[in-house]
Amino acid sequence: MSRTQTARGKAGSVSRALARDRLGVPAVVFFVLAGVAPLTVAAGVIPTAYQTTGLTGIPAAFIVIALILALFAVGYVAMTRHITNSGAFYAFVSRGIGRVIGVAAALVALLSYTFLQVGLYGALGPAAQSEAAAHLGVHAAWWKWALGAWAIVTVLGLLRVDITGRVLGVLLSAEITVIFAEAITGLAHPAGGDLSFATLSPARLTSAGFGTFGVLAVVAVLGFVGFEQAPVLAEEARHARRTIPVATYFALGMIAVVYAGVSWAMAVHNGDGHVVAAAGQQGPGLLFGLGGSGVLDQAAQWLFLTSLFAAALAFHNVVWRYMYALGRESVLPAALGRTGGNNIPKTASLVQSATGLAVIVAYAAGGWAPMTHLFFWLGTTGGFGIMILLALTAIAVITFFARDGRGESAWRRLIAPGLAALLLAGIVVLAATHYDTLLGVAPGDQVGWLLPASYALVAVIGLAWGLILRIWRPRVYAGIGLGAHAVTGQLTPPSERSQP
Amino acid sequence: MARLTGTGRLADDLYLIAHHEVSGKPLLQPRAAGLGLAGALLAELLLSGRIQIGPDRVAVADPAPPEDALAGSVLGQMLGEAEPHDAATWLLYLARTAAADVAGRLAQSGYLTRASARRGWRGGRWVPVDAECAFVPVARVKSALDPSRELNVHGAALAGLAAACGLGSRLALYLPPKADRALSEAVRRLDPGLRELIARTQAAVDSALLSHRV
Repeated sequence: MSRTQTARGKAGSVSRALARDRLGVPAVVFFVLAGVAPLTVAAGVIPTAYQTTGLTGIPAAFIVIALILALFAVGYVAMTRHITNSGAFYAFVSRGIGRVIGVAAALVALLSYTFLQVGLYGALGPAAQSEAAAHLGVHAAWWKWALGAWAIVTVLGLLRVDITGRVLGVLLSAEITVIFAEAITGLAHPAGGDLSFATLSPARLTSAGFGTFGVLAVVAVLGFVGFEQAPVLAEEARHARRTIPVATYFALGMIAVVYAGVSWAMAVHNGDGHVVAAAGQQGPGLLFGLGGSGVLDQAAQWLFLTSLFAAALAFHNVVWRYMYALGRESVLPAALGRTGGNNIPKTASLVQSATGLAVIVAYAAGGWAPMTHLFFWLGTTGGFGIMILLALTAIAVITFFARDGRGESAWRRLIAPGLAALLLAGIVVLAATHYDTLLGVAPGDQVGWLLPASYALVAVIGLAWGLILRIWRPRVYAGIGLGAHAVTGQLTPPSERSQP
Repeated sequence: MARLTGTGRLADDLYLIAHHEVSGKPLLQPRAAGLGLAGALLAELLLSGRIQIGPDRVAVADPAPPEDALAGSVLGQMLGEAEPHDAATWLLYLARTAAADVAGRLAQSGYLTRASARRGWRGGRWVPVDAECAFVPVARVKSALDPSRELNVHGAALAGLAAACGLGSRLALYLPPKADRALSEAVRRLDPGLRELIARTQAAVDSALLSHRV
């Protein structure tokens, strides 16, 4: 074996070549922010949230939620290093708590992201409608524009187009620049001439009773959805221990500053006492009105459209990836885990498109308001589902490290996730019990319990299916949560595995 | 021209299945094709007894240089590494250049030729010299999956690797309806090392798809 000896000098060329292909922090941050879509939140979520909830503590909520999510992220990124398929909440739950609950978490996640994706059509339609009416002289119902956007998302989904790289970078930078410009001009022109910091005060979080914190937290978490996607790239990251955590904390901090800043500017510009009424009258115009200059506001309106579209496509891709992973694991029908020509997972992509079409048609036929009833109701319900998953995942991190600490510190494996689990579970309970305030409906209104109950329903189905798999299909059961690696995990019979 | 009857090399066959037999157009995303061909290059070394594949590492079993230059270069790279790597690492590493390497080897054997630059922007692509020969590997898979025949290791490994990198839908066009089951049955009868390699290839392709890299 003299050849092995003489070749020692070249050692590590494989690792070096692979390292060159890997992603650094900026690439991961851009990937994360693609799903976050800043203008969608700044012009869509925040004004609608002021209007429907009638609460003014939104700026403070963004800061508090960022802190809670940072606490959550400590254990989340630590566990990412020790499991595969770490982009998906149900992978954490399957490995940490158990595979049966993991299946329930998978279905809750699928429903949450579906709500988030489909809800975006409710904002895309009206935004395109008003732009076209104002500038192109084209007058068409919101749902026609929504269907147009849906068709483009469907086609791009089937062509496997991700808006990534340079296009996304340009769009994101433009969005953030516009938001800052709007916020700064808004702050420079406060109502009544006084700069009020009241809406940034934590006291505002419980202004209308303790339960309002739950409501505000769900609205705020909606702005951060997407940050949890960073570990999807864990296997592609340049430095396993550093890239994902740095990108996650950076994205959290950036989102918090942008959203707290712009929602605060809206309250300052319109006056704390009038911002709710102004939001009701102006909708997304609450943001576009801050600048007071034609060019800036026009740019913001066009970017709002591209931002909504990018978010709709990003979540479309998240949903089919979830379905694909579950199809590969045979937890969902295997057809969802098949690809056609050019590695395109046609079935999974089309299923999500079919859902979108059904919802748009239902809203058009029912004559329901797109912005509040589709965008905000389904969007916040998606955010509520993510909140449930965050709480479950925090618990999963604790139980995962309880069996084997794997060299992680007590802060990472117990204290931070423990605090996060308590806070997140508390928020879930508060939000569930004040869901009518969240949606802006009268207490006792049916949707106030129907929407959150949809998660209970899919969770029960998931638990039952998980049990069925455990009893009758042990090979499939063994692969739950492994995603792409289910196929190698299933090589080893379940009896030889040490995990639960 | 003498009839081309196949090089008998797995990666060559997989390359031909992964590209249109007339136009030479790729039928897979580049990264998926690269991973599949990387799997096939490793399978060639495995079948000739040069390497062994375990769950944690790929070990060189016989360092004598193989006849084929490409196989020799892959084996040489393995011998040049101080630390052994697992199959997943080798797949990712070889995937970077596998498509170009295998195309070059096929061209040398007379199966591919460069499209003339007169075809405009499509010029420069590798196209099969003879479409019928380029289609033969699909037929090889078909006969390997015929349950009435004895296990054909080359055909079964080819079918497994093709399905792993996303060519299942192309094969389905030419195979009988229940070929899915025949395929997993054929793969199940292969040696553990080959099965491990096919599963790792599948996992690497899925993983690339799920992490937005395909």
